Amino acid sequence: MKQPPQKKDGPPVASSIAASERIGVDRSVEKERKKDLPPPRKQFDDESRGGRAKRRSVLNQPEARNRVELFRHLPPHKNGTQLPSLESKFFELHEKHPAVYKVGLQYLAGDLSGGNARCIAMLQAFQEAIRDYSTPPEKTLTRDLTSKIGGFVSFLIECRPLSMSMGNAIRFLKSRIARLPLTLSESEAKTTLCSDIDRFINEKIVLADKVILRHAATKIRDGDVLLTYGSSCVVEMILLYAHELGKQFRVVVVDSHPMLEGQKLLRRLVVKGLSCTYTQLNAISYVMHKVTRVFLGASSIFSNGTVYSTVGTASVAMVAHAFRVPVLVCCEAYKFHERVQLDSICFNELGDPDAISKVPGRVDVNYLDNLTDKQKENLELLNLKYDATPSDYISVIVTDYGMIPPTSVPVIVREYRKEYLLI
Amino acid sequence: MPDTQALVNDFLNKLKKRKIEGSQATAKQTAELLRSVISQTRMPYTNQAAALIHSVKAVGERLIAANPVELAVGNVVRRVLHIVREEDLSLTTAAMAGLNLSAESDDEDDTDRDNHPALSAAAIAAASRSTLRPPSLQTLLEDVPDSAAVPHTSSSGGDSEGKSKSADKSSRSRKLKHDVIEAVNELIQDISTCHELIAEQAVEHIHQNEVILTLGSSRTVLEFLCAAKEKKRSFRVFVAEGAPRYQGHLLAKELVTRGLQTTLITDSAVFAMISRVNMVIVGAHAVMANGGVIAPVGLNMVALAAQKHAVPFVVLAGSHKLCPLYPHHPEVLLNELRSPSELLDFGEFSDCLDFGSGIGAPLLHVVNPTFDYVPPKLRRA
Repeated sequence: MKQPPQKKDGPPVASSIAASERIGVDRSVEKERKKDLPPPRKQFDDESRGGRAKRRSVLNQPEARNRVELFRHLPPHKNGTQLPSLESKFFELHEKHPAVYKVGLQYLAGDLSGGNARCIAMLQAFQEAIRDYSTPPEKTLTRDLTSKIGGFVSFLIECRPLSMSMGNAIRFLKSRIARLPLTLSESEAKTTLCSDIDRFINEKIVLADKVILRHAATKIRDGDVLLTYGSSCVVEMILLYAHELGKQFRVVVVDSHPMLEGQKLLRRLVVKGLSCTYTQLNAISYVMHKVTRVFLGASSIFSNGTVYSTVGTASVAMVAHAFRVPVLVCCEAYKFHERVQLDSICFNELGDPDAISKVPGRVDVNYLDNLTDKQKENLELLNLKYDATPSDYISVIVTDYGMIPPTSVPVIVREYRKEYLLI
Repeated sequence: MPDTQALVNDFLNKLKKRKIEGSQATAKQTAELLRSVISQTRMPYTNQAAALIHSVKAVGERLIAANPVELAVGNVVRRVLHIVREEDLSLTTAAMAGLNLSAESDDEDDTDRDNHPALSAAAIAAASRSTLRPPSLQTLLEDVPDSAAVPHTSSSGGDSEGKSKSADKSSRSRKLKHDVIEAVNELIQDISTCHELIAEQAVEHIHQNEVILTLGSSRTVLEFLCAAKEKKRSFRVFVAEGAPRYQGHLLAKELVTRGLQTTLITDSAVFAMISRVNMVIVGAHAVMANGGVIAPVGLNMVALAAQKHAVPFVVLAGSHKLCPLYPHHPEVLLNELRSPSELLDFGEFSDCLDFGSGIGAPLLHVVNPTFDYVPPKLRRA
């Protein structure tokens, strides 16, 4: 039976799982490897593929005003104004589990952000949904549950496009469901799945973070000036851990409009007693003279070593490279992806364009209020969420498998990806 | 003199308090101020040029000290001094050429006082030699004014010649002032029209269907792009907003009002978009003698990205921005830090910024530089 087509670049699980079910659960490793090659992603403006998903979409499509031509292949941003309409539709969406619904709302409103947080929240919501799940008569557990999960995923994609970490986690979950022995009863299957999800979260995220902390803390010396960009939970943990170890260092927090995530990180660091300097992205050439190390987080790392992370990371890495400052990227291994991306345009996420024109807290610079229609038709606002940093700017990647150069990423993907699929 | 003093003090205050925005406005006001200083300077009979130079230098030094980062002030002062010297030189050479060549005597100390032309010629020759001659090392080290050399010769002539000479000299002095003020007017004119002259070259550089990137807001860039638009070149512009002053928003508004296709992007997205851009055009605050550029903050990042993607990086600057100084440690010495309130709201962060709570050292610094230094090798034109 057909899975509902993913509207965008979701993990290529749908076709591969359907194929595996046809052939059988145990198959040779080579065929699996071949099927794991991601098919070309469905682009947003591709009518033939995206049409059915659009019809089934729950949220209204925002109007096509100010759509930048270059990014027509990406779905437009759905901002928080959709919340009331989505809430009103709650009782119509009875097939969506309330936990999943709640997580979707949190994504839409922007309350949950950050690869790890979103992934953990999504997996825990799926856990609850699985616990409450009961197989309808005349259907097998694996197929029905997989299709339900697929439905949840497409709902979450509508709220906010998936991050790479979430995509990998979903792929893991679906493969676990597919591998359930058919002899298990329903309750046993459900508990197995829930414990698998727990193990995934524990091993791949929580413990991985601890290992990364220990590795990265060895790279911080007394008297260092560390620079970080935006707000990454891993980097924050590293800084606090090193501070607890008693190392003396200063932190430079670099921030950018419109997300201004650095302010939250800044507050948390200052509360713990680290001495910090705060500045905006434009001033990095000014501060980079004094910086000794740059720590960056990542949303994902691709097979050619390109780091996919918050927009602006590429600029920071480039300037650090120009000033001969080492750049350390800290990323758990479950976020690696075998895809290759050349630049930031072929795959990205569009944020709220109106967020650019409004500057919070500063009334004097709101130049873009009260535009006439003629002005509006010529003006486009572009708010990208991610960008791709070329691998030559990265010195080392700190993962739970150790500290590796960017060229070793495909090795990790190849060797260790199979490990958790075969658990 | 008193009212020029008042004008000078007023201008000094404005410079110190950073009330004047933009190097063009500063340059123009400096030039106008110097013009009034020159017109008010009392010219002695001998060596007027030195007197002018002295008064301009005195005012100029105070102006430069008031705002050392605003290099346009120093540039204008130097140009006015250059004008004075040039005008003086051209007057003396004209006078020398006008007089009979046969009547010239090369003698400096003892001149033949028989005929007026000869004497005037000698005096003029002496005067011109003093202006032509670069100050000798002795005069520089001992700070002996240049004009001391000349009165010896001309005073001996002045008493005997009397009226004719003084009339000659006063007419020459009036002419010198007049010429200088005319030249300064031309300078002011140049400063005002620099945008048009630069914009005329726009058509050579911008072609059809190009994509141009710029950051922040510069009037020169605006005129440049609009001139190209007038010539019916259709192109698109990406404007990076230029936090924390967000001047990019202003520029984007101006551009769409004039009908240009504009896309406003965040500064963080510059690296992402620059691969699709044909050219980067920016304005500058000042251009140094080694070719390095003092530009609004963030442009070093853009220049590095442009170099990585082999995109031409073009800087537009009026002639009043060309500075003969070499930059030494420009990020610190030629930079200014603005208020941190542009980055962090004091109200929100008052708990972190509160130094008096007993923790000795302040935990939080906020850095908000105004300018960036772009080294010459990153700049294409």
